[in-house]
Amino acid sequence: MSELNPDGESPILGGAGDDLTYGDIVWGQFKRNKVALGSLYGIFALILLGTVAPLLASNQPFIWELDGQRSYPWFTTLFDRLVYENPVDIFFNLLLVALLPCSSLVLWRLRSLRKAELVKRARRRRIRQEVILLLMAFVAVYVIILAFPQQSTYTPYPKLMDRLEAKGEQQVSAVFPPFDFGFRDTGFRPLAGPGGEHLLGVDNSGRDVAVRLLYGIRVSLTIGVVAVAIYVTIGIILGASAGFFGGRVDMAIQRLIEIFMCMPVLFVIITLIAFLDHASIFHIMVLIGVLRWTGVARLTRGEFLRLRNQDFVTAAEALGYRRRTIIFKQILPNALGPVLVAAAFGVAAAILLESTLSFLGLGDVSAPSWGQTLKEGYSSGKWHLILSPGFAIFFTVSVLNLVGEGLRDALDPKLRQ
Amino acid sequence: MLTYIIKRILLMIPTFFAISLMIFVILNFAPGTPGASLAGGEGTQSSEDSVGQRESYQIFKEQFNLDKPVLFNTRFSLTQEQVATTVLDILNSDRSVPISRQIEAQVELEDWGGYAVPGLIELLRSEASVEARSYASRRLPLNAKRRLRNLYGGRSDVDDRAWNKEVLAENKVLAEWTFPTDAPSTRQDEVRELWVGWFKENRSRWEYSSGEKLLILATDTRFFKYWTNLMRLDFGVSHVDKRPVIEKVFKKLRYSLSLSFTAVLLIYFISVPLGIWSSVNQNTAADRGLTVVLFMLYSLPSFFTGVVLLNLLTRGTPFTVFPTSGFESLDTSAMTTLQYLGDVLWHLVLPIICLSYAGLAALSRYARTGLLDVIRADYIRTARAKGLPEFVVILKHAARNGMIPILTLLATLLPTLVGGSVVIEVIFGIPGMGLYVWESILLRDYNAIMAVLLIASGLTLLGLLISDLSYALVDPRITFD
Repeated sequence: MSELNPDGESPILGGAGDDLTYGDIVWGQFKRNKVALGSLYGIFALILLGTVAPLLASNQPFIWELDGQRSYPWFTTLFDRLVYENPVDIFFNLLLVALLPCSSLVLWRLRSLRKAELVKRARRRRIRQEVILLLMAFVAVYVIILAFPQQSTYTPYPKLMDRLEAKGEQQVSAVFPPFDFGFRDTGFRPLAGPGGEHLLGVDNSGRDVAVRLLYGIRVSLTIGVVAVAIYVTIGIILGASAGFFGGRVDMAIQRLIEIFMCMPVLFVIITLIAFLDHASIFHIMVLIGVLRWTGVARLTRGEFLRLRNQDFVTAAEALGYRRRTIIFKQILPNALGPVLVAAAFGVAAAILLESTLSFLGLGDVSAPSWGQTLKEGYSSGKWHLILSPGFAIFFTVSVLNLVGEGLRDALDPKLRQ
Repeated sequence: MLTYIIKRILLMIPTFFAISLMIFVILNFAPGTPGASLAGGEGTQSSEDSVGQRESYQIFKEQFNLDKPVLFNTRFSLTQEQVATTVLDILNSDRSVPISRQIEAQVELEDWGGYAVPGLIELLRSEASVEARSYASRRLPLNAKRRLRNLYGGRSDVDDRAWNKEVLAENKVLAEWTFPTDAPSTRQDEVRELWVGWFKENRSRWEYSSGEKLLILATDTRFFKYWTNLMRLDFGVSHVDKRPVIEKVFKKLRYSLSLSFTAVLLIYFISVPLGIWSSVNQNTAADRGLTVVLFMLYSLPSFFTGVVLLNLLTRGTPFTVFPTSGFESLDTSAMTTLQYLGDVLWHLVLPIICLSYAGLAALSRYARTGLLDVIRADYIRTARAKGLPEFVVILKHAARNGMIPILTLLATLLPTLVGGSVVIEVIFGIPGMGLYVWESILLRDYNAIMAVLLIASGLTLLGLLISDLSYALVDPRITFD
């Protein structure tokens, strides 16, 4: 059975010489490309930065002591829908909470599995199963948190000095994150330039730009990944059935592809988002996902057509495997390479599309978005509002494109070294 | 070849139909109403004094077929219970339904038009409350109105005029047959008798055979009306200024075309030599550097570049070299043709840069790989072996074959060429198609949006066909037979 590790980065890389899987080969090729590898680290850095955002900037103090009464608002409000309205923020906060225990759990399991002296492939199968279990547990916890929203009353924690001045005799002490304001907090001098406690200045509505960009990472990455996940799923299912079954099914799906390919997707998305009364980032994700699957479907179809009549498929059929098993377990892993490349480029394109939408003033106004800040820069002409969001978009998009490029080269047998 | 083309074109028709159906359905089921400002907010008025305003909004809706259902019309099967319930909901005398439903019911009854007449007559004859019957009597003249022929646009002939006269006369008479809630019972009976008598006379108008029902189901709908107009290449008139949409589109096309045509020309003139140069110097430091630069350009969002250039070079922070926005100067009448061209070009420099650099990056990479694919081929070696100079080998033998993929890409650029770029046109205030779509979206001008979307998708279809055909045209090895 051929195995391809979907992310191309397996936690363990077996010793040299033994039993290389396709994933190993691709990963080995990918590693040689220093730019692509660096970009991959860049993506991880972005994810990490987005995850730890509340540690760096939040208006909720870690410790708050007033008249001898001590409370820990930062910890108790992490999943509070009044402080973090957006489900995306809740997700990343959960990730933040789970980061340490999960990574130590993973490290411990890896060590114990290495000691268990299994054959490489068997060990890897175990790892994959356990990772899937862990992910499922994570998603389950997330769904539970979303299903039972924590409702408390929102307490603003004014800055220490203001508080002390207002109530002179009270005993107050507090520990805040380095930046003691959230991305929604207004009240700073509008359009103030960078400097002091505002690293990147203040926007038109008196909000800190640096903090907005920081939380914007969460929004952008989520939109990119979820939108692409949606259309990769649709594209794989349709493309696989077109390529595998052929005939009428192929004909029908090809017409469908043609229809969606000719739709002016950008226009349609702009129109629909503009028409929606309360467009949220989820509408954007779903719309991109539903409208842009044609590329993936065509790729998958082509790969399936190529692989359909190869010996291993015939063998699987002769062994009496179910059709679903043949499609998803036998052919799909071999067809996944080009799809992965398309997905990497697709995430970049989706992020670009989202920032275009928010630049035009569409989409979720409450979510911090890079395009929004850039739009304020456009209308106010302030350089600090133009350059910082622009570079944030540019960095994210180019890092993703570079990874896609590296992956494409790694998958290309002609370029193999 | 010819059979292939015919087959493709025949296949394009259902595809285009499906696209238009999809876009139409999406647009029509999207929330929000066009011309809502005419109705005074989203139809919030239910008081008596806004009747005139509501009526003019209803006329507006009829004019654009917005009172009809989107895909299927089942209003021939309206029962009198449905009509009675709706009327009671509108009156809402015991405040049993929420305000939103009350408004909805009002719109519903208005949109039902003639289909609600039998139900209203029944309501008038029934033992319902005075309010309900009075309302029915006031509603009947409006719902029983027949449509005038060729009222909006188009020429009306003698028959039409005679018909319109008859209908108008009837409408005038019917408008008298109402009674207020406090009318004496004799007047109520009189009005009822008048309506019942009139209904008996015109009964045939509401008796549908099953064939007619099927016809109504499929044809008395927004989509059908739109498509029958579309077949005559009539994209309808704009909700905003009541002018034909297509006229506007042609006017806007001039701006978008001159912008994108120059951009495409620029892309090809720079990227092809660039691609050839870098493939000839493959894996040198210069080639690597160029690849990196082009890749950076490819990842640079064009709206960011647009804003940076705009701020840098037009607003005086720090330079004022180019005009801030627009396609031409305000006063162009005194200019000679040459001056005018220069003026337009001066306005277009920045937008063209923004539109072309990303495509340039992508295309020169295509050109590079295209040439690299052929440069190792046997016939190139043969050409070199027979002593041809290197530039003849590259330009005449290799480039011709290596540029085939680039050439065919041109056709897929067709829709971009015409559709323009929304963001760039918004940033630089170019009054082209992109800005037109954007403004139409903000004004909810359905016909305009539909027209642009359909033209864009039609051109994409055409572009795909041309690009497939051009493969065969430039590469004799490819046939479709």
